[in-house]
Amino acid sequence: MLRYTVKRLLQLSVALLGLSLLLFAWFKALPGGPENRLLPENATDRQREALRAALGLDEPVWTQYGEFLGRIVRLDFGSSLSSGRPIATELAERLPATVELSLAAMLIAVGLGIPLGYLAAKRRGTWIDFGTVSGSLLGTCIPIFFLAAMLKVVFAQELGWLPTTFRLTAGADFTEVTGLRVFDGIITGEFDIAWDAVKHLILPAIALSSIPLAVIVRITRASVLDVVGEDYVRTADAKGLKPSTVRGRHVMRNAMLPIATIIGLLLGSLFAGAVLTESVFAFGGIGSFVYQATTERDYPALMGFILVIAVFYVVINLLVDLSYGLLDPRVRVRK
Amino acid sequence: MALLEVEDLRVAFGASTAVDGVSFSVPEGKVVGLVGESGCGKSVTSLAIMGLLPKGRGRKARQPVLAAASEPVGSGLKATAAAPQSIAASGGRSRGGADVNGRAVFDGTDLLSLAPAAMRRRRGKDLAMVFQDPLSSLNPVVPIGRQITEVLERHRGLKGDKASKEAANLLDRVGIPDPTRRLKEYPHQLSGGMRQRVLIAIAVACAPRLLIADEPTTALDVTIQAQILELLKDLVETEGTALLMITHDLGVVAGICDEVNVLYSGRVVESAPVRELFARPTHPYTIGLLGSIPRLDLPIHEPLTPIRGSIADVIRWHDGCAFAPRCDRVAAPCVEGEPALVGAVHAHRCVMAEEVA
Ligand SMILES: Nc1ncnc2c1ncn2[C@@H]1O[C@H](COP(=O)(O)OP(=O)(O)OP(=O)(O)O)[C@@H](O)[C@H]1O
Ligand code: SF4
Ligand SMILES: [Mg+2]
Repeated sequence: MLRYTVKRLLQLSVALLGLSLLLFAWFKALPGGPENRLLPENATDRQREALRAALGLDEPVWTQYGEFLGRIVRLDFGSSLSSGRPIATELAERLPATVELSLAAMLIAVGLGIPLGYLAAKRRGTWIDFGTVSGSLLGTCIPIFFLAAMLKVVFAQELGWLPTTFRLTAGADFTEVTGLRVFDGIITGEFDIAWDAVKHLILPAIALSSIPLAVIVRITRASVLDVVGEDYVRTADAKGLKPSTVRGRHVMRNAMLPIATIIGLLLGSLFAGAVLTESVFAFGGIGSFVYQATTERDYPALMGFILVIAVFYVVINLLVDLSYGLLDPRVRVRK
Repeated sequence: MALLEVEDLRVAFGASTAVDGVSFSVPEGKVVGLVGESGCGKSVTSLAIMGLLPKGRGRKARQPVLAAASEPVGSGLKATAAAPQSIAASGGRSRGGADVNGRAVFDGTDLLSLAPAAMRRRRGKDLAMVFQDPLSSLNPVVPIGRQITEVLERHRGLKGDKASKEAANLLDRVGIPDPTRRLKEYPHQLSGGMRQRVLIAIAVACAPRLLIADEPTTALDVTIQAQILELLKDLVETEGTALLMITHDLGVVAGICDEVNVLYSGRVVESAPVRELFARPTHPYTIGLLGSIPRLDLPIHEPLTPIRGSIADVIRWHDGCAFAPRCDRVAAPCVEGEPALVGAVHAHRCVMAEEVA
């Protein structure tokens, strides 16, 4: 298991290094380059040269890349071109909101998707199966932005059951620990804050969960159908085991292997959906930050965002791989 | 009354019949063979007894008469040979379940009419099964120790250390060295022979009165095959367990069985004590089977005589002998209605048998 882990870590570092090269190349190839964004339209060539020197843009490419890497490692992404604040600070402030939202959405998707997928497989060919599969197809078709807006209009604005925007009721007095409001509320004993945060999370989390939910339902269904036909499930039945034991120990433990991989991949892709959902519910995560950075060609901010997402992907991938090692003994031994 | 009496067992998958009225019995403590070529219904018979076939829609097996009636009237023989629809063609392992009819009376209770929960309480305890492919029959992600203890827990109420200790005993009994360490290993870490030993350990864990082994050695190397057969023989002898041995290998039958039932196209065509069958095979199919295995007592140049043709795809016992298209002795009476099983100790299903003998 240790060798397996080390090997995975090495592979991931190589992947990250490759990504940094790509990013650097992209940065260099940008039309106009960042200095254009900083200079007035009628800047002279001398002004331009001075700025390039100040930004280190006149150094040899490899020196620039070295410095680029060094800054990344120090988490120094520079300052946002629009707000002027350090990008790392901006990201750090906003990241917990997005993480919390993504986790909540994934919780819904997994908690609902696996049982539904299992049920569809068990009732294969019945209307339950048909309904679940059609529902999941619908889930992948509805644009998140539209779904988020509909949920907001119906449940928040018309019915008034849940709040329309933000992460907490305005003026709420809370203690910040990790920035995950529900979690903080629970560990500090501010349960009213935790509950308030949950209420603010529900609608955006549902909107964000639609695609992963649909995917998990279908993967679970396919995976369970695959596994129930296996000889070892017949062996388990031949032992006269209770149906719950056969289901848990023999069917689901094997069916979980592909499901775990998909969950990891989906978790990364949730960030893309989060940009849209957050803007509908004014959730204040990195979504709105990216939106702004894109419209204002704030390249350093975008770069910081991309790096953070990349690290996230990589970490999630590592976790998935490690969980795979835990779930499947065959992976552990194969070096 | 024998420990297990299978009476007129019929299994159909949708419109295709896989087992067409099989009857045989397994006396207490005896080893009974079920032989026949691939596709004749051996596995389906054993799975039906164990209650492991996917459930079908109705209890009534659809009679293949319907398919026959729609065919142009002609010689029954021709119709049989040119059977247009085959079980394989109708979907092989179809999604639709199996319709099981008949009786499988085990120790006084008809297993086929037991409720699923009642059957689950007996499966793995009173009757157990060993399967053909030991690798795919073990769960790849669960340690083998757990795969043994779960059956001890379920039927003998053993838990924790007690269960582990008993599991180690069982592994020891089926000839696996260093059993305590092996308990923590996974199936892929064992050799094929060891995996089959583990499956046998699981099957005998609760001292069943009947053990069904469906081609337990087919997937193994020849040397390992002999060891596994030896182990099975030893286990059933010392425990007095009855064994239903399913195989297509007459060598296995000769080596281990007390009685044999020869299956052809979903029916028993001959049954006899094992010595009697080898000494006086009566049904042309059995004679063919015996003629197609190499023998040490014949000159080496003597050609083997394979049975020509292959198993008929559709079971057509109702309008004549299903073996007729492949039989050298076929005559008019063979296709005038169903040949009945005649005889008691040595029974056969062939209308020409008197002439044959
Ligand atoms: N689930 C199923 N659905 C449809 N047909 C089936 C199913 N299982 C078995 N059959 C058919 O029933 C017939 C008997 O199959 P069975 O597996 O009992 O043969 P067998 O005698 O065990 O052969 P083998 O020696 O190859 O194991 C075959 O023609 C097979 O195609
Ligand atoms: S009944 Fe006729 S066709 Fe069938 S096995 Fe006997 S001789 Fe051959
Ligand atoms: Mg078989």
